[in-house]
Amino acid sequence: MIPHCQLPSHIATGPHVSPFVSSPSHAGRAEDLHVPSSGSSAPFSVAPSADHAEASAGAEPRKHTTYPYVTGNSVLAIKYKDGVLMAADMLGAYGSTKRYKSVQRILRVNDTTIVGASGEISDFQYISNLLDELMTQDFCYDDGCTMTPKEVHAYLCRVMYNRRNKMDPLWNSLVVAGVDKTSGSFVGSVGMLGTSYTDSHVATSFGNHLSRPLFREFQRDDMSLEEAVSLMQEALRVLFYRDKTSINKYVLAKVESSGVAISKPFALDTKWDLKAFVNPSKHAVGSW
Amino acid sequence: MSWSPYDLNGGTCIAIGGEGYCIVAASTRLSTGFSILTADKSMILPVNSKCLIASAGFDGDRSQLHKVLTFRSENYEHFHKKPMSCPAMAQMLGNTLYYKRFFPYYTFNLCAGLDDQGLGCVYTYDAIGSHERVGYSCQGSGKDLVQPVLDNQLKAPSILELPPKVAVTSLSKDEAIETVKIAFSAASERDIYTGDAVEIFVMTPEHGVQKEILPLRRD
Amino acid sequence: MFMTRNEYDRGVNCFSPEGRIFQVEYAIEAIKLGTTAIGIRTSEGVVLAVEKRLTSTLLVPSSVEKIMEIDDHLGCATSGLTSDARTLVAHARVECQNHRFTYNEAFPVESCTQSICDLSLKFGEDGDEDAGGMSRPFGVALLMAGWDPVEGPGLYHTDPSGTYINCEAKAIGSAAEVAQSTLKEQYKPGMTFKEAEKLAVQTLKQVMEEKITSTNVDIASVKPNFRLYATEEVEEIIKTLDASS
Repeated sequence: MIPHCQLPSHIATGPHVSPFVSSPSHAGRAEDLHVPSSGSSAPFSVAPSADHAEASAGAEPRKHTTYPYVTGNSVLAIKYKDGVLMAADMLGAYGSTKRYKSVQRILRVNDTTIVGASGEISDFQYISNLLDELMTQDFCYDDGCTMTPKEVHAYLCRVMYNRRNKMDPLWNSLVVAGVDKTSGSFVGSVGMLGTSYTDSHVATSFGNHLSRPLFREFQRDDMSLEEAVSLMQEALRVLFYRDKTSINKYVLAKVESSGVAISKPFALDTKWDLKAFVNPSKHAVGSW
Repeated sequence: MSWSPYDLNGGTCIAIGGEGYCIVAASTRLSTGFSILTADKSMILPVNSKCLIASAGFDGDRSQLHKVLTFRSENYEHFHKKPMSCPAMAQMLGNTLYYKRFFPYYTFNLCAGLDDQGLGCVYTYDAIGSHERVGYSCQGSGKDLVQPVLDNQLKAPSILELPPKVAVTSLSKDEAIETVKIAFSAASERDIYTGDAVEIFVMTPEHGVQKEILPLRRD
Repeated sequence: MFMTRNEYDRGVNCFSPEGRIFQVEYAIEAIKLGTTAIGIRTSEGVVLAVEKRLTSTLLVPSSVEKIMEIDDHLGCATSGLTSDARTLVAHARVECQNHRFTYNEAFPVESCTQSICDLSLKFGEDGDEDAGGMSRPFGVALLMAGWDPVEGPGLYHTDPSGTYINCEAKAIGSAAEVAQSTLKEQYKPGMTFKEAEKLAVQTLKQVMEEKITSTNVDIASVKPNFRLYATEEVEEIIKTLDASS
């Protein structure tokens, strides 16, 4: 943990927190899951005996998410002249295993809004259900109003923050994008703690490091769709080159005032015979 | 490493009360760890024509706190048929924070505005509601850099002076604004969490609340 | 009294076909049996004067409380069922302290009046009576006198229906009609506090059956703090009346 992010000890370990903070035995289990080689237990397995021991000791089994299992990686979204563009790959990773390769991580919420998710896939599926129910309600009101991207974003901020208040977070970073007839394009993000922001471009996890510098330089709110798509492809390509937990199988979604369009899965042309790739340490003597 | 419900999203805010004016300023960079999330997120809540609140700390708690305060302020206005005064808001904010004493809002607040006499008033808080009225204050990631500058530049009576005086600066409004700008420029040189831009709200009885944006270092 | 008395006058949850809730009207009638209370507002402050019916010489006069302090800046005169008045005043006191706790400021006079009226209206509701709700309307009217940091002096009249009215001068109780017409004739907008004080007591004297003394009236002022007058002060004021009348 970065030192400045360390909380004062009384807040991090106060009596209100302690029931949920991992006890040493719990922590041991978490380690087992993430680092298969450590200890004597089998790789990627939950030792049932530990659970039994806990139950017989009268301790509550832990029910809250303290680490994710199957995760999705970066989601990127940018504004352009007529709307917004969002992209994500289709990987569901189990630790560092590329476990599922056709996971749709971009969801069409309604005619004006899409949501993309990184983080725990099962939590995202739960969020999808919430949004489905919300849209069913919206439909049943039959009042001619549908939720705007801004409203969906505000709703998801509440959901994420309320779950973190329960010490039972939804382990995701969500990106909400869309267009609103009155206020135009919208791109926003919310993390698992309820930290939220809106901007002209948004990216989660690795994308925040690798893609956003490109967006900062090249994204403009009045760029054309073609420009936006090629910028997005370039950003995805850079991500794919540098992020080992990503795959070359993407979905691209756009929202314009005419509605939502989500592409079929596609792959990008990649080029691996660049000199720098062939001999990566050649231009960095002395490093690994 | 266990999961923590808290984060620190950085940012600095300053409030200065003077004779017939009040300044509240805050940087707009939102960070997590060593990453910048956005360059343009406000951490100032303009409550009404008499009161502004600036909150540094954890963004999730800030959003929640600002919603709660907005709700209470609007309710107050409906019930009492007048906007909540800055001293009233200050007490209410203190209570609101203390009610979460055992699961605190991880926010560091400034509540500032004009009191009934038209004098600038500034209240400064910790995360669990301790507060006091001061003449000027700052909070957030850059406070260690900024507070000494304010102490030195604002020419306010010392808070140690007896009999006690409210340490309101003797500087004019424009001089105080200039000091705020310099303080932020300086903070952005050394504090990585302070940068991109600073929002400056100036409140006067004559012109109400006016907003100005000053760009800062973006690196 | 009412030509259309019928079974509709029993429940508090039921309108009569003419659109009336009789129990509320009867509660308002109860006030007409109460002692007379008068309040006058001036720019300097508010004066309250009430008659105390001392049914026996063995009564301790100070134990008959018709004027009560709610907060430093707020008091009220009552007419009707004193026990009901106590319930309302206790509620108002709590609300005032709550407001001070939350906002570190005095409870605005109108807001306090409103909160009393909210409670007055909670009759006949299901559920917990501890929460403040009553099975019947309160049989009491109040004259709320206070000093608002923004609005200055304030005088409000509340009745059992939960209605409140902002007044310059108001009389309630058995002699309300006579006293109110006197006030209407003699109240002047630019009155000084002294004049208002005298007018209130003079009017009270005029409508009282017994001879006015320092023991059978209570006088209080809010300017800007609430203060109940001592017997000697009441005596002084009564003397000035005797001299002038």
